[in-house]
Amino acid sequence: MDLFLQLAITGVMLGSIFALLALGWVLIYKCSGVLNLAMGELTLIGGYVCLAFYQRLVTAMPVTYAFILALIGTLIVGLILGLLTERIFLRKMIGEPILAVIMVTVGLSFFFKGMVFIIWDTDTQVFYPQVFPIEPLVIFGIAIGRVYLWSFIAALVLMVMFICFFKFTRWGLSMQACADDEMAALSLGVSAKFVYALAWGIAFMAAGVGGTLLGNINGLNYSVSSLGLLVLPVVVFGGLNSVPGAIVGGITIGLLQNLAGGYLDYYFPGGIKEIAPFIFMVIFLLFKPYGLWGWERIERV
Amino acid sequence: MSYLPCGQYFENYREDQKWWRTPFIKAKMVFMVLALVSFPALVDSQWLSVAYTINYYILAALGVQLLIGYCGQITLGHAAFVAVGAYCSAMMVLFIPWPQFMVDVGLAYPVSMITAGFAAGFWSVLFGLPSARVKGFYLIMTTMAAQWITVPLVITQYVSQIGGRGQAFSIPPGTIKIGPIAIDESSMLGSWEVSGDMKLYFFSLLLVGLCLVAMGNLLRSKIGRAWIAIRDNDIAAETMGVNIVGYKLLAFFVAGFFAGIAGSFYVSTLSFVSPEHYEWFYSLLWVGIILIGGVGSIQGLVFGSAFVVLVFKFLEMAVLGASDMLMESYPHLGWMTTKFIFFKESAFGLAIIFFLIYEPNGLSYRYWQLKNYFNLWPFSYTGK
Amino acid sequence: MKRILLVCFGIMLVFCSNAFSADEIKVGSINDLTGATSDVGKDAALGIREAFTYVNDSGGINGKRVKLILQDYGYRIPEAHTLYKRFRSQDKVNILLQWGTGDTEALSPTVNKDKMVTISDSLSGHLCDPAKTPYNFIYSTDYSTNARAALTAWYEEVWKKSDKWKKAREAGQKPKLACFYMFAAPYCSAPIKAIKDQAALLGIDVLKDQDVSLTALDAKSQVLGAKGEGANIIWHGNTTMSVATAVKDAYALQLEADHIMNNWGFDKNLVRMTGPAGEGVIGCASCAFLGDDVPYMDKVIEYTQKVNPAVSLEKRDIRTVQAWVKVSLACAGLQRADKAGKLDGPGIKASLESLRDWYPFDKENALGRPPTTITSTDHRPSPVSLLYTIKDGKITFFTKINMKEKFPDKWQSWLGW
Repeated sequence: MDLFLQLAITGVMLGSIFALLALGWVLIYKCSGVLNLAMGELTLIGGYVCLAFYQRLVTAMPVTYAFILALIGTLIVGLILGLLTERIFLRKMIGEPILAVIMVTVGLSFFFKGMVFIIWDTDTQVFYPQVFPIEPLVIFGIAIGRVYLWSFIAALVLMVMFICFFKFTRWGLSMQACADDEMAALSLGVSAKFVYALAWGIAFMAAGVGGTLLGNINGLNYSVSSLGLLVLPVVVFGGLNSVPGAIVGGITIGLLQNLAGGYLDYYFPGGIKEIAPFIFMVIFLLFKPYGLWGWERIERV
Repeated sequence: MSYLPCGQYFENYREDQKWWRTPFIKAKMVFMVLALVSFPALVDSQWLSVAYTINYYILAALGVQLLIGYCGQITLGHAAFVAVGAYCSAMMVLFIPWPQFMVDVGLAYPVSMITAGFAAGFWSVLFGLPSARVKGFYLIMTTMAAQWITVPLVITQYVSQIGGRGQAFSIPPGTIKIGPIAIDESSMLGSWEVSGDMKLYFFSLLLVGLCLVAMGNLLRSKIGRAWIAIRDNDIAAETMGVNIVGYKLLAFFVAGFFAGIAGSFYVSTLSFVSPEHYEWFYSLLWVGIILIGGVGSIQGLVFGSAFVVLVFKFLEMAVLGASDMLMESYPHLGWMTTKFIFFKESAFGLAIIFFLIYEPNGLSYRYWQLKNYFNLWPFSYTGK
Repeated sequence: MKRILLVCFGIMLVFCSNAFSADEIKVGSINDLTGATSDVGKDAALGIREAFTYVNDSGGINGKRVKLILQDYGYRIPEAHTLYKRFRSQDKVNILLQWGTGDTEALSPTVNKDKMVTISDSLSGHLCDPAKTPYNFIYSTDYSTNARAALTAWYEEVWKKSDKWKKAREAGQKPKLACFYMFAAPYCSAPIKAIKDQAALLGIDVLKDQDVSLTALDAKSQVLGAKGEGANIIWHGNTTMSVATAVKDAYALQLEADHIMNNWGFDKNLVRMTGPAGEGVIGCASCAFLGDDVPYMDKVIEYTQKVNPAVSLEKRDIRTVQAWVKVSLACAGLQRADKAGKLDGPGIKASLESLRDWYPFDKENALGRPPTTITSTDHRPSPVSLLYTIKDGKITFFTKINMKEKFPDKWQSWLGW
């Protein structure tokens, strides 16, 4: 029971980071119809950018301020990179077939990954001095890593912020309008180009926070990008165009991954933890081809 | 593959779809075969290995072209099926106690190759099954899952553990034989005193020839027309009476079969098989090849494979060849050579993006334009 | 386009025209600078370059210059094959230095058929049986012996003596061993059979293995698994980065077990990364740590600054010293073979197999490496394992075990494990 609770809690907390990433993914898909396979690399970039800021800032100020400033810096850099990526690579692909758009994002993922390792090298890099103390928090006899707890809180806060952004701000509303009906939104004076660019900017920012949090757990290396790739089973589970689906999906996949690692590893030694979400996804797709809350499209000849 | 002199018209479908439509095509083919056969005499052995790598990519991407280019089923997990073929073939050759007479006449490898094709085909159908229910992005996800389940889980964690500690299966030199001839990359054994590279080159050429002809024939038959109908509009195809689930699964089977043959062939060029030969990168690479070459075109496959392999080769020659010089004369630039692998990856990523943006029809479209230009030469109208 | 072609052509000319001189010995080296083990691989590669610079500066091999061709393969077995083909057919190297267990073992049949002597950084015990792999050599105590030694040392020095386990010991409890390693990586799985055999020999229970990837950033569920079964001692079979992750997670989840680790998982980086979590871990080492007081260490440090001044001494580690040991063994083989006038595969093999109580650069206790003896029936260089521990944030010598003296009747049967 102890083991189960510990696994479940860690899973839910890790899942909240996936949910954050999935939110960025769903946003791009909703607004511009782009299926983004480069999410893992966006996460990687976010993590490394924050690390670079942090390492420079931490020499001049206390750890907490340095980390918060670095995170803000990451968000700004993420926004700029997102706008640039959309402008340079994806704007030209509007209206192209699905495969072409997907392959552009695949090309982007190769490009980003290569650039990250050219700039930052392949060693595992850690946030040093550590932002979150290594000593665990013991609640009812269950040891919870402080990083996880803070990641969970940060992810929740950010998700609430995102949702408020969509519901109550002008930009957020125009994004929603564009996602619902592009034609109608255009005729009402919403700039689709602006919305697409903003979606990419926000996705980059979400990925930046996700990467930073993942990097704080034990450090950054290229396996962060494969964690970022887990966003795909998450969105398939929740439905491609559903924001609540992304959140529920993220937490479910995090939970599932950890429980599989804890229990199934005994029966299928090795690697089941990484693969379990994908196996689950295939089986799930056979029963619910559009995810939990995805839109079912009716096709006509 | 067509060259029609002015004023020659066909009167029925059969004539239009013939392999040898004009004498010129025959002459062109004879010339091409001669060129390919005499190729080894003109170059040294490292270019032969480039040539058979191109052939391997053609074989592997053939199934991708069939699925994406002719049947409209997007796959991002083809390396899984190639891996199944390769492991099936390697394990059959290594672990099955073949009767002595079969080893003597060198039947083990050819038999394993056919089996590998079937194994990969059925494995591919297994992951094609969801295509009955889902399409578009969801299908992409299931093919990606095929990659994750097959290579990092089944092959790395379970298959590789057979007879060892999760290591690559070494294939001792001289194990892979067709008839009396050992065709491993490093072997000079066998009755022919030719280098391993040359044997591999001709072997790959033979396989590519057979597979391309088979594919071409399939495409001009009823099956091929059904696939194309599904690609263009599956609902319309269904209303026309095409059994779309059946034909989709058949497409997955045939694509998997070609992948199995490709995997089985590639085993002979290596001293060992390891899961790292079949990473997700290769699945994407083969999709990239057909996009660069041109979707829905067999020539495109050849152009795309040649383009990718040659560009990688030139990059490698340029960077690695200059690495000693760089290290000695410009030590501060030495880091570039150590990070070559990432430059290669970035360059490949950018190449795909720019092809998709600026050349969405691929190289085969340019070839077609060129051919049309010369069709009417010297009176061609360039359009501008 | 034309200009690009011209540039390509120019570059091709440059490296085709590389003057080939007869008085040159070519050494090919396959290293990991970018892959899963680059955390330890980069330092080793720098060390190899520096050591060969030293060899050339001090007169080369019987007056012949050594030309080192060092290439990265990213810890990817297919790349190693490509590089090997290049080294064999184009560069025609005299001796090959390899890196990983996966590629060394996979290439072994080919290498042996081509009669190419290779010295690998993979100290896998499987490469030590000349009946199977006559052309594979290693330069230091093999993983299996290391693992056996580490477990024995822990059992005798910690389990039987420390206060931490007093209660369990007096209750007559048997210690429990869990192995943390990446199942799919041959390097990590190489000593597992040996350590389990040793556990049975010492009367230690073996728990379920836990799979920790070489690039793992999270080993929580594995640690929880080991905790659930009540592990007392954990063998870490990975390289520094993932060992650090596992040790930190064990600390964070309050796993009350001791840690022992293989030589590629124990260095200064581990101390830096684990902090308080790393206190008291025991690790194997192949030679002295950088800066220790042993002969030739001054040369090592001098050349780190001379050849790679851009990399600060702070960032260098024991891997550099290991690279020097490796290079000195290669040079010893080349030197003796060259003197005998047989600078080919069988010649180098014979000269390496004639080494008896050899020290690097023929100087006693050089680089802290115990004496090496290689024979034509046993390629295990030495039965002596050096063990270090982390005490107050510093790497300190723990003990030295001679497994041949300790288990004289078993030693021979452990060949090729």
